[in-house]
Amino acid sequence: MPSATPAPRIPVEERLFSLVLALLATDAGLTKAEILSTVQGYRQRYNHSGDNANLERQFERDKDDIRELGVPLETIETPGQAGNNQSLRYRIPKGSYDLPSDVRFTPEETALLGLASVVWREGSISAESRRALVKLRSLGVTGGEPVLVYLPRVRVRDAAFEPLTAAIDKRQIVRFRYLKPGEAAPVERVVQPLALFSHEGRWHLYALEPDTGWNKTFLLRRIVSDIALTGKTFDPPPGDQAAIGLAELEEVWAQRTAIVEVEPGSDAEARLTKRRGASRQADGSIQLHTADYHILADELAGFGPEVLVRSPEHLRNAVRSRLERIVADHG
Amino acid sequence: MAERQTPKAQDKLAFLLALVPYLMDHDRVSVAEAAAHFDVPPEQIREAVRLIAVSGVPGETASYQHGDLFDIAWDDFEEHDQIVLTNMVAIDDSPRFSAREAAALIAGLQYLSSLPEHADRAAISTLMAKLTRGSSASPSPVAVQPSETDATLAIIRESVERGVQLEFDYQNARGDRERRRVDPLRVESVDADWYLRGWCHLREAVRTFRLDRIASPTITDEPITRGAGDVTLPDALFEGAPDDLIVTLEVAPGALPLLADYMTPDATQEQAGDRVRTTVRVSHVHGLKRLVASMPGVAVVIAPDDARAAVAEWGRAGAARYGG
Repeated sequence: MPSATPAPRIPVEERLFSLVLALLATDAGLTKAEILSTVQGYRQRYNHSGDNANLERQFERDKDDIRELGVPLETIETPGQAGNNQSLRYRIPKGSYDLPSDVRFTPEETALLGLASVVWREGSISAESRRALVKLRSLGVTGGEPVLVYLPRVRVRDAAFEPLTAAIDKRQIVRFRYLKPGEAAPVERVVQPLALFSHEGRWHLYALEPDTGWNKTFLLRRIVSDIALTGKTFDPPPGDQAAIGLAELEEVWAQRTAIVEVEPGSDAEARLTKRRGASRQADGSIQLHTADYHILADELAGFGPEVLVRSPEHLRNAVRSRLERIVADHG
Repeated sequence: MAERQTPKAQDKLAFLLALVPYLMDHDRVSVAEAAAHFDVPPEQIREAVRLIAVSGVPGETASYQHGDLFDIAWDDFEEHDQIVLTNMVAIDDSPRFSAREAAALIAGLQYLSSLPEHADRAAISTLMAKLTRGSSASPSPVAVQPSETDATLAIIRESVERGVQLEFDYQNARGDRERRRVDPLRVESVDADWYLRGWCHLREAVRTFRLDRIASPTITDEPITRGAGDVTLPDALFEGAPDDLIVTLEVAPGALPLLADYMTPDATQEQAGDRVRTTVRVSHVHGLKRLVASMPGVAVVIAPDDARAAVAEWGRAGAARYGG
């Protein structure tokens, strides 16, 4: 029985840890009342004769927090009492909690995963990769010192990234305004978000547009509004949607080409010839690939007089008008 | 009032769930060793062990009897900073990865899959499959295109392996080309761009080199004078220098992330119509004109005048190539 004097405040992590231990230890599951009245961190605040609404809300949030860590917290119905919320039982089945025994990592693999985890520096994906690393270290393997020290980074700076990640997790249809280059005003889009992927250093959303039934790719930096959840859910199609979206854009990239001339010995020559997919033509010009001519036009404008676009004609015009815009803006 | 949830408590829980199986696998481990393994301060290990030692399950009696709790050898812990678990409850193994944790590692591996260290593609896909099996739900749909790296990286690696200096032609943003001799310290990347940070014998200072501006790299016989352990490299890729140019820009709000690497830490952002006025720091106008010309219509230099003029001239020379 809880004592009558105010109990010392139990730290949040102690309550969460005690909840995980209690639910791991039970096969039959515990009811909410059992949990709130007996588990460390709840029992100190449990009112045996009255209202526990605050504590129940706390329990709901704790469940979400625990599930977010990948802990398979289950709800089961008591046989014969289906639909009765008070008789729901909670447990964490050992078999789906424990890392499978064949999932163990060699020191080389551990080193690779350590490097993969430092790639993320921003946002929730960074926190998640740090947690994954902690779990990896739980296995006691160390990676050893690398020959060459690497510090790789993938930026996640688009404001739409976090809300889209959450919407994908919740399988929620989203609404946002999207500004296509060359269009005067943004257009509202309503889509089923399927995956996020980075191509050529830029984040894209792969989504299905229910109105047309088409899969579409959106560049995150062209989303000009907040991501609004519509409250409607959808069933994602089977298959690795991120890989499918990436492969589709890569196909586009392979098909779209441009021919440019570069000044010999210039920065443009040094960098464009080393660009992925770039090839020197017999006459010394360079063929480039791009997934998006508007982005290529921006990049080429940055090289100023070091680059002359030969083809296609629309890219030539786009680079020229960008350079004229630069002059006008800085006149 | 219900307590506010902090992500910190969630991270602490993940740490506790990871530490317990590690301690179970080690009959006796010092606080220092565990701290080194998890790369955390020793006090964080001690705090976690104190909490684990008094935690457990409600048990048959629903009152946390002694046998229902973890226990440690207290004397070893308090007098010798050693951890010995003497009673264990509920937990048998390491926890699985969450869908998003597994996805973060898998996408990180994809990004790095072109490094010389990752030459064995089959091993990488085995590793990704293992992460998928070790995840409590299908990994979240996130992918990163493998970053392209060229032969330069393999040459850098070899020079580090041999402990010798690297020599190469380097062309800076101004267009000047020089032969550089460098002790390679670290290879860094930002998205699709790769950089070498090294001790430059020509400048006698740490310098950052873009890999795609490096030409004709050769491995010398000259031993390095500074290794990765001898130099403290700041985390920021572009360090400020006293003679840096501070430039005021007006930028479309959506384009601000593109300039984040150049912004000074104390850069203010004030609204100017539908633009944001802010300051960036660049080493000279040659870098600036390239940067601003690649953001036509979204970034405009306001001051100083000579920077503004340099950008205008760069654009004019570029436009002139297409005829008047």
